[in-house]
Amino acid sequence: MQLMEEKRLRLVRVVLIQLFLLAFVLVLNVPFVWMVTTSLKIRKDVFIYPPQLFGSQLSFKGYAYVWTFVPFARYLLNSLFISTAVGVSRVILASLAAYAFAKIPFAGSRQVFYIFLGTMMIPFEVIVIPNYIIVKALGWLDTYYALIVPLSIRAFSIFLLRQFFLQIPRELDDAAEMDGAGRLRCLFTIMYPLARPALLTVCLYSFLESWNSFFWPLVVTNKDTMRVVQIGLSALADPTISIQWNEICAAIALATLPIVVMFFFVQKYFLEGITITGMKA
Amino acid sequence: MGVALVTSLHKWNLLSPMRFVGLRNYVALFKAPDFWNALRVTIVYVVGIVPTALVISIVVAILLNERILGLPFFRIMVYLPAITPMAAAALIFVHLLEPDFGLINYVLSFFGIPKLRWLNDPGLALLAVMMVGVWKDIGYNAIIVLAGLQSIPGVYYDAARIDGANRVQIVGRITLPLLSPVIFFIAVVQVIASLQVFTSIKVMTSGGPAGATESIPYYLYNNAFRYSNMGYASAVALVLFVIIFVFTMLQFRFGERKVHY
Repeated sequence: MQLMEEKRLRLVRVVLIQLFLLAFVLVLNVPFVWMVTTSLKIRKDVFIYPPQLFGSQLSFKGYAYVWTFVPFARYLLNSLFISTAVGVSRVILASLAAYAFAKIPFAGSRQVFYIFLGTMMIPFEVIVIPNYIIVKALGWLDTYYALIVPLSIRAFSIFLLRQFFLQIPRELDDAAEMDGAGRLRCLFTIMYPLARPALLTVCLYSFLESWNSFFWPLVVTNKDTMRVVQIGLSALADPTISIQWNEICAAIALATLPIVVMFFFVQKYFLEGITITGMKA
Repeated sequence: MGVALVTSLHKWNLLSPMRFVGLRNYVALFKAPDFWNALRVTIVYVVGIVPTALVISIVVAILLNERILGLPFFRIMVYLPAITPMAAAALIFVHLLEPDFGLINYVLSFFGIPKLRWLNDPGLALLAVMMVGVWKDIGYNAIIVLAGLQSIPGVYYDAARIDGANRVQIVGRITLPLLSPVIFFIAVVQVIASLQVFTSIKVMTSGGPAGATESIPYYLYNNAFRYSNMGYASAVALVLFVIIFVFTMLQFRFGERKVHY
């Protein structure tokens, strides 16, 4: 009898927790949902008070409008191109460096590695001015170089891959080398397939970091054609231009959707990567 | 880094040649009321959002750690705000905080609160910026705390239960102490990240009204890229670096045990 009672209490508790959590994630995601439904409203529905979740009709006019209004398509393409380039270059460059640190003994390897690690502690705001001065001196302002090259390598990516490569037994390299494979061949044919989760993590983080970046693109680009999507978004908040919230929300949805879709597909890697490394995306 | 240090000792507007001014940039900095205002804004921001996001996410993580249905679903939903680009998140909140037809003022009207002009009110603008910060930070915190909770061996709970401890006692005496390294790690990471708050401010308020939301990074941006005071802005950057460096050292000293590098 008492056991039954206890079981019932436990059930009630679990149901309550479940309901509370459900309510919590719903409230937490209200801004998100609101943004999506607003993007599907028509202009006049945006000014209704009290605010309604859904407009009087479902319409994609907002999307059509931003697509043609500002060079928004261009912004999206810029961001896509830059983020992909950053993601790919970081995997390649970081894996080359990580392989050297993990597998090739050379004088001062440890010291150089620590210097690399040291750069992780320098926050972006501190080096934005020197970076800007360098990029300006190179004549790279308003070019893709400025948006890609300074982001193309990070000590953290090297660090992550090095730790992963270290776990791969030496014997595999030795065997490959015995068979006549060079260093690069070892890296690409032995390490890459074995380190796929780590490489993917680096690639995804880098893509996300680049896609979401704001300060650096704001500083080094001025021309409309070189703008990235996040900067394009912030310009929409300007009250002097003729744009309404349904259209702005459509723009936000376009700027956020690629990330969210990517996240849904790879969320397992993603969330695991965060818990293993403690990295804040 | 070296370039930043050297630049901070000069007066330079990018056009005319650099002029060596020694420590005068730093002297000017510490005399400028704007700098102290920026420092105050940044501290209020950090002190406001880090504990708030931490408490919410610990509660949520503890509940997620109960044997609930659909954990993967909840993990995704909790993390969604965290991956949203800050510029997008800030813009969504600008819409929600709209004084006349925004959702937040509408909800507040049920509690008899009159329409607030969030982003134009010097007393409220920083609070509005902090809302976005908390909204975005909860996901990261909760996921890490949850991982920390899952690494606590079940035998501790069993032992406590046999000794007759109730739920509150278990959380207070077992869960939280065992979790403290994780909480410390997150707190430091978030303090460092919050000290760098820029994007939300740029999108929502541009540092206004009347400097009420001008954080150190925003102050740096204004000086470097709007007024072209590269030397002065570099001095600001170095002060920010020193502050962040102290927290980074804290993390290295005490956080090492927890971070599974």
